[in-house]
Amino acid sequence: MTAPAAGFDRTATTLFDPAQTRGRGRIDLYRSYRTAASLGWKMEANWTDPVLFFIYSVAKPVSAALILVAMLEVIAGPSGREYRGFVVVGSALWSFVISGIAGLAWSILDDRERYRMLKYVYVSPSDFVVVLLGRGTARIAVGAMGAAITLAIGVVVLGVPFDPVAVNWPLLVIVMALGLEAIVVIGVILAAVCLQTRQEAWSYPEAVAGALFLVSGAVFPLSVLPMAIQAIGLANPLTWWLEGVRHALFPAGASAVGGPGSLYTELTGQAAPDSSTIVLALLATGAVVTLGAAVAFRWSERRARDRGLIDQTTGS
Amino acid sequence: MTARAFVGRPSAGPREAADWSRGRIVANNLRSVVGRAFPRVRGMVREPSWLLFEILLPFLTTCSFVFVYRALRAPPEYIGFVVLGGAMTAFWLNVVWMMAAQLYWEKDQGNLELYFAAPMDMMSVLFGMAIGGLVMSGTRAIAVLVVATFVFKVQFTVDQWGLLLLVFLLTLAALYGLGMVLASLFLMWGREAWHLTQVLAEPVYFVSGLNFPVAALGRLGALALATIPLATGLDAMRQLAFEDVQPVFLPPEAEAAILVLMTVFFVLLARFMLRNLEERARREGRLTVRWR
Repeated sequence: MTAPAAGFDRTATTLFDPAQTRGRGRIDLYRSYRTAASLGWKMEANWTDPVLFFIYSVAKPVSAALILVAMLEVIAGPSGREYRGFVVVGSALWSFVISGIAGLAWSILDDRERYRMLKYVYVSPSDFVVVLLGRGTARIAVGAMGAAITLAIGVVVLGVPFDPVAVNWPLLVIVMALGLEAIVVIGVILAAVCLQTRQEAWSYPEAVAGALFLVSGAVFPLSVLPMAIQAIGLANPLTWWLEGVRHALFPAGASAVGGPGSLYTELTGQAAPDSSTIVLALLATGAVVTLGAAVAFRWSERRARDRGLIDQTTGS
Repeated sequence: MTARAFVGRPSAGPREAADWSRGRIVANNLRSVVGRAFPRVRGMVREPSWLLFEILLPFLTTCSFVFVYRALRAPPEYIGFVVLGGAMTAFWLNVVWMMAAQLYWEKDQGNLELYFAAPMDMMSVLFGMAIGGLVMSGTRAIAVLVVATFVFKVQFTVDQWGLLLLVFLLTLAALYGLGMVLASLFLMWGREAWHLTQVLAEPVYFVSGLNFPVAALGRLGALALATIPLATGLDAMRQLAFEDVQPVFLPPEAEAAILVLMTVFFVLLARFMLRNLEERARREGRLTVRWR
């Protein structure tokens, strides 16, 4: 007679302990997150030359801002310089959006298509979403660096007016926290999409970010859009995040949400939203998107499991 | 007994079997081009999600820049500049993502050694990639151009259709020639390739004057005209498609000549680099080591 496997033999001295399979709750979640974040950073950055990595990280957001500044300069000349703050802040913050969305989606594609590790990560005891969030953290950190450098270049080189004393710091902290949460959940939605698609989905995060750029008031006020698209913009948490950051940095600056011809002003009668309206709107729209992301990810995960997509590799 | 090898015809041995006629080499390379283009075209049919992500969403990005100009009350031809730039980015992104970085990814997937071992020219593989990619990026470019022209009522004033078409084709030739050069470089640089794809997007859009006349950038614009096919092609097409574009450095005829030079230079350079790479691959065996 063969001996029973360890853990199944009730007479053995080392008894199977079912409690071990339950894990240690939050401690395990934190450990998974920390390990995934550290792995993400190592894959993203620590193998490369720091100077080159710095150039790579800031070249994209700085150039994006410079495109808009050049457009302003070509059309409006010196009279357009008052809008520089508006476009520089919008395009700098957009690097958070691109990196936040791409971080999670690319983790799926990296692990499935390049390293072919997704199936092993998936069957490991770690929570899959927590691992993805950890992997995405490194890219958000890179995006944050790009945003900070772009803002610094905007202030120092492009003459964007910035007064640290006038900044509404509590509002800035609140909207940044809520905004980052909104970006990450949009990233979760895109990760759900990438679980279903083939290798060429590398460019999808950027395409989604580009589309959101239109309805977020990032570099132009929503009032220039048709009313129906303005409504989509008002339901988008990124619009309120950008509005909140601008409101905190430049309290007397132009609003992307309100103003003549805007749906917001037509509905509320106010020229621009105040701080509390911004925070409430960001909370409400963020909650809706979070709920949508949770549903989308669970559905996608189940479908990927059913159809064997987790260890699928593609190419064209 | 004489060793016999069969490669489409009976032969006395491997040496004779490897002695191909010129016609056979050309036919084999043409088959390689078709073979490499096929999965790209077929993949488009198999998974239609690219219609949303490769056409509709990038179109919305182009719309964003149109609305920037609308917010600034820019002259109508500037809306046309954005639309033209939006259409041409499709080709640039295709060159960066599906040409330049492709050999590096093929290495990661384990296909690269098969390419080097197969009896074909690597240029055929890259040419096949270019043709397959052109189908997708061409569809995207046409969609952006046509839809945006109708939605934003862009007025084109073209007097020299022949020259415009020639400049467009020369731009594509130079762009894909550059893509072939970058494919070899990315393969040598390894993991840095990933970061380079990022650097080749917005920074290149900026120096190429994607949404505005490149001459507005002064010396930087002139340098871009001399080195980046996207900048040269866009500036020439802008001058040929719209009236009174200002400021400009060179007339479109001169820019077409620059594009011819760029095409010849990039294709020859790509050929030289690929030969070198192939030799290294066979001698050192390092190019098939993954994830570096």
